[in-house]
Amino acid sequence: MSRRQSWAGWGAGIATALMLVLGGAGAQAQDADPSAVIRIGSLYEPQNLDNTAGAGQGITEAFNGNVYEGLFQLMDDGSVEPKLATDYTVSDDGLTYTIKLQPNVTFHSGDPLTSADVKHSIERVTAETSKSSRKSSLSTIESIETPDEQTVVIHLKERSISLPYNLTYVWIVNDAAGDLTTSADGTGPYKLDAWRRGSSISLVPFENYWGEKPKNGGVVFNYFTEATALNNALLTGAVDIITSVQSPDSLAQFKDNPAFTVSEGASTTKEVLAYNDRVEPFSNVKVRKAITRAINREQLLRSIWGEYGTLIGSFVPPTDPWYIDLTGVDPYDPESAKQLLSEAGYADGFTFTLDTPNYDPHPIVAQFVQNELAKVGIKVNINIITANEWYTKIYQARDFEATLQEHVNHRDIVFYGNPDFYWGYNNPEVVELIASAEASATEEEQVEKLKEANRIIAEEAASTWLYLYPQIVVSSASVSGYPVNGLNSQFFAYDIVKRAQ
Amino acid sequence: MTDLVDLQAPAPARRTPRSLTLSVGLVLVGLHLFVALLTLFWTPYDPTAMTGGRLEPPSWAHWAGTDRLGRDLFTQIMIGSRIALTVGAGAVAIAAAIGVTLGVLAAFATRTLDDVLAATFDILIAFPTLLLAMLVVAATDTASLFSAILALGIAISAIVARLTRILAKRVLAMDYITAARTAGSSWPSIVFRHVLPNIWPTLSVNFALQFGIAIIAEASLSYLGLGAPPPNASWGRLLQEAQGTVYTAPFGAVAPGIALVSLVIGMNLLADGLRDVGDPTRRRSR
Repeated sequence: MSRRQSWAGWGAGIATALMLVLGGAGAQAQDADPSAVIRIGSLYEPQNLDNTAGAGQGITEAFNGNVYEGLFQLMDDGSVEPKLATDYTVSDDGLTYTIKLQPNVTFHSGDPLTSADVKHSIERVTAETSKSSRKSSLSTIESIETPDEQTVVIHLKERSISLPYNLTYVWIVNDAAGDLTTSADGTGPYKLDAWRRGSSISLVPFENYWGEKPKNGGVVFNYFTEATALNNALLTGAVDIITSVQSPDSLAQFKDNPAFTVSEGASTTKEVLAYNDRVEPFSNVKVRKAITRAINREQLLRSIWGEYGTLIGSFVPPTDPWYIDLTGVDPYDPESAKQLLSEAGYADGFTFTLDTPNYDPHPIVAQFVQNELAKVGIKVNINIITANEWYTKIYQARDFEATLQEHVNHRDIVFYGNPDFYWGYNNPEVVELIASAEASATEEEQVEKLKEANRIIAEEAASTWLYLYPQIVVSSASVSGYPVNGLNSQFFAYDIVKRAQ
Repeated sequence: MTDLVDLQAPAPARRTPRSLTLSVGLVLVGLHLFVALLTLFWTPYDPTAMTGGRLEPPSWAHWAGTDRLGRDLFTQIMIGSRIALTVGAGAVAIAAAIGVTLGVLAAFATRTLDDVLAATFDILIAFPTLLLAMLVVAATDTASLFSAILALGIAISAIVARLTRILAKRVLAMDYITAARTAGSSWPSIVFRHVLPNIWPTLSVNFALQFGIAIIAEASLSYLGLGAPPPNASWGRLLQEAQGTVYTAPFGAVAPGIALVSLVIGMNLLADGLRDVGDPTRRRSR
């Protein structure tokens, strides 16, 4: 039997759903000005324009879905939808994907989209020289065939249920385009107009776009190096939207002002107290659970983010398909923390060093943890380190007892299925669940297995997940239709509308 | 009142500002010293206890407000005085030990060794104090209060060494040194009996200045996360933590800022006053 998924007729339904979601984010779009240029303020200027050349998250923000499109697209609600693919079939053994391409698609340069472009684009990401962070997740691809101009056949070494998801990271670029670090040639609704280094990237609507035209007259991403300058730009009307606000305190000036809209979405950034699960006493589940119960995460979140942010009971944020609410597994309870510690043989507590990155919010989080753990007899020594030291000492050398880190990725529970990862969590059952989830025949099976893995890591307090950052977008009240979750730093601009002045 | 003043010996009017400098300096530094000693026995709150709400403005309960975790800022600033004075005194003591030794050694050394030492001091001085201190902190394994003191002490010692060398050379050229040498005095006796007592007044003024510089440098190190690690309430760390909330809770940055400025100005005024009192040539020229 061959599994076949057809996507015909889905488009309209998705569009309606999106409009419902996005309509709530801002003002009504009824008197929108279709020629208005939307000015977006961001702190993340890309290093270059090529996401396989170490350009940074800024290029994803500016180009994903706007200038470049993938075969599939990760939507703002976390779902994966076909984009340049119309439908695909998977062989019975799950090793061969046959993908049909959207017809009549042209690149900004005028070249038509063919299967050769797709092959070239995928191989660009998996190439030896590629600096793409998604390279390893596509390493299961064995070969790519192009039987005709509209068909791509991908052969895998092993089953990979996440292939469509992983392909959302692959830009389809014109195989005839040369160096993409300073120019662009994609199929998206916008084409690159100009990149003024240190200042802005401007995009204009692409007149021959195959799909629905953008609802605005173009987009300019204005780059700032400093959050205060960015906030001031919004206050003075120099930009219309700020893509992500990094502290709740700058929001005071916008929140009670009817000229601005503050929206809170779900981010995928988790503040994690990660233990070196290989070493005593953190190899003991009871110790990890005790520490988790000794920390009042609600109070911590309120201290750092005020009224924003979410508590999480595991590593999985609500936008991952295998999310379950696990906040009840180890609730704040210092008494039971003490009980667990004495059961584990640490009735008199112990001392450990917490390696703390020197940038906000980690030092203040470390002090909070230090205070809370002192109450149950655990002494914490805070060792402040730089981001570079974190990478060499902890990520590479695993020379640590415990550390704080923000983990930003979407769908990254797989880290707990890798006993070689820096925190060294090694539960054969979880390793097996995560590995076999990837080899699942259906998404339901994958979700089921990952939910189980999720439940186990929470039960064993593999790490302590302190809180989930909020994703806060602030805009002028005249602007609406922007994405609120900004998953994986994407910022789709085509539905943004600005009221006529 | 006026009668009394008339009856007194004619005190030179210009002497008042000189002693004013010294007394303001003494009062400011003395105040910090008092607070620093007081924190050894008593603080308004436990410095790590979360006793208030998030970023409460100054009130009777919390004189300087609270930080994001609801800890009393006034308590932390008081403890900051102790840390600042410890760092200043420690760094200056280390700088004096290294700098005076090397400076005197250079002054006594053969021409070649003197040239090498003098060039080394000049090269070290060319590095900004803060940069040098950062290098030293980076070389030690983990940041601590002691590593910050050591780093600043080493960084400042080059300045002290160069000054000592020049001052000692000037003394060594004096006739009474030649006389002492002729009389058979050993060099340690020349150093302790003649050189050090003569250069001491100028050096101590410099120490007071370097004290202030060390305090600012420690605040900068802590601001960068390289100083005394939390929960040591260094003013630099308080400033760093208040940076993100400076628009909504400016008191968090203003209060440690005032503390830092008052101590450094106090030290500088003290140094100025000491120089005016201790330098006979200067007194005469006025």
